[in-house]
Amino acid sequence: MTYWELIVIFCALAALPLALLVGSGTRHGKRKVTTVVVVLAILVVLTVIFDSLIIAAGFVEYGEATLSGIMLWKAPIEDLSYVVAGALLLPALWWALRRPGHVWGQVTTWFATSRPISWVNTAYPFAAAYFLATGRVDDVLVIGTLFFLIPYNLMMYGINDVFDYESDLRNPRKGGVEGALVDRSQHRGILVASVLISLPFVLYLLISGDLAAGIVMAVSLFAVVAYSLEGLRFKEIPFLDSATSATHFVSPMVYGLVIAGVPWSWSMMAVTCAFFLWGMASQAFGAVQDVEADRAGGLSSIATVLGARSTVWVAAGMYLAAGILLLFTAWPTRVAALFVLPYVANLVPFLRIHDAACETANLGWKRFLWINYVVGFAVTMLLIYSRVTA
Amino acid sequence: MNFAHLGFLLFSLAGMIILDARHKLFFFHAPLRAAVVTVTGVAFFLLWDIAGIVHGIFLHGASDLDTGILLGPEMPLEEVVFLTFLCYLTMNLVALVERLLEWLQNRPERQSVPTARSDSDRSANAGGDVS
Repeated sequence: MTYWELIVIFCALAALPLALLVGSGTRHGKRKVTTVVVVLAILVVLTVIFDSLIIAAGFVEYGEATLSGIMLWKAPIEDLSYVVAGALLLPALWWALRRPGHVWGQVTTWFATSRPISWVNTAYPFAAAYFLATGRVDDVLVIGTLFFLIPYNLMMYGINDVFDYESDLRNPRKGGVEGALVDRSQHRGILVASVLISLPFVLYLLISGDLAAGIVMAVSLFAVVAYSLEGLRFKEIPFLDSATSATHFVSPMVYGLVIAGVPWSWSMMAVTCAFFLWGMASQAFGAVQDVEADRAGGLSSIATVLGARSTVWVAAGMYLAAGILLLFTAWPTRVAALFVLPYVANLVPFLRIHDAACETANLGWKRFLWINYVVGFAVTMLLIYSRVTA
Repeated sequence: MNFAHLGFLLFSLAGMIILDARHKLFFFHAPLRAAVVTVTGVAFFLLWDIAGIVHGIFLHGASDLDTGILLGPEMPLEEVVFLTFLCYLTMNLVALVERLLEWLQNRPERQSVPTARSDSDRSANAGGDVS
């Protein structure tokens, strides 16, 4: 990493509170921005003068090799970065803390919006893939895991909640762990937060990875946005809805493998495809419980098109196909073929479901969330075993 | 041990405290809020320093004018005092500029109030003339 990459990432982090404050519609937003600009201008002039004097007096010495060589009088241009970051970060904190209750309210809304119960579903595939491929704990692992843990989910569910607002209003199931129904006044703040909080992380990951990793990141972020954004709404296009949702969970794993730079084996391809099928099946089954609500709200999904019963059968078929694919992987990964069985078993009570009774599938969906934790634990044990024996 | 650099920084910091005390800008305006902002700011800059040091980008190198007291590898005591000073300076400026902008924004409003009143007086008079 170079000095300039460090500057870009930390300035993006520093700009975050101000951007969130102004973006979510604070009072006197314009005056606040003007204040920051004026303060910044004064600080830049002061820095150039005093930094030059300090350097001339010999108080500070630099490893010159790391600097760009662009000088403002005697001050290296890089020295301005702290001043810029300070002028962006500090006043925003100061203003935000004027109404701590309001800020706390916003943070808890974002927290709920990001579905903490699902954080691990995206962070874990990335962390496991990267750590298994490299065997290292480094910046990319820590920052990438943090990114797929919170900002990625905030973006995914934030965009989803805002654009689903109308149909969610008619769905009594939303508002708890499975979907946070947020007031219209919060929408702007949520959209701004979901994009801006991700920005420093994405910048860091793009700088750290190569072009291939950048492309995977682009596909991943596109899938996150395209799922529910007005105009694309992939979630309303049957089959594309399941595939996009599967991308949400598989792409962090693929990203982990690609940024680690490991060569692709047939075994890895099979695992990736199996994971993708699992994702499609799970999304399809998740849509079953909403068949009636979606139809009433004029929404379409894989389940409204196929009907509740056929969707359950398709989901079961995809789980089994995932299991069969896993049989073709190397030992001990092959054991993972068994892990699809609880998911198939979970669908059995619903194989004869009728559209009118679709909401009974919610029981299966709740069980599915628990199966994930149990199977996730089993997958971890398998990964550790394969790591130890490798 | 040389206290030239540290002394210079503490002298500057003292200047910020006096300015703050005189005009109730930052710590003398809202002490708790100011403390949170300063601690967060210094922590943020230290994290940045550490990231730079870990990646071998920052080499502060002990100068002859420093005390020589190191808080960590490549992290002289002077750096922390400087970062505190930078946060204090920034926030004093923010408070001053905010006050200036507020004053500039309110001034024309105050002038426009009597103007508006005299306008309405005039139209009232005009109405009176017609009747």
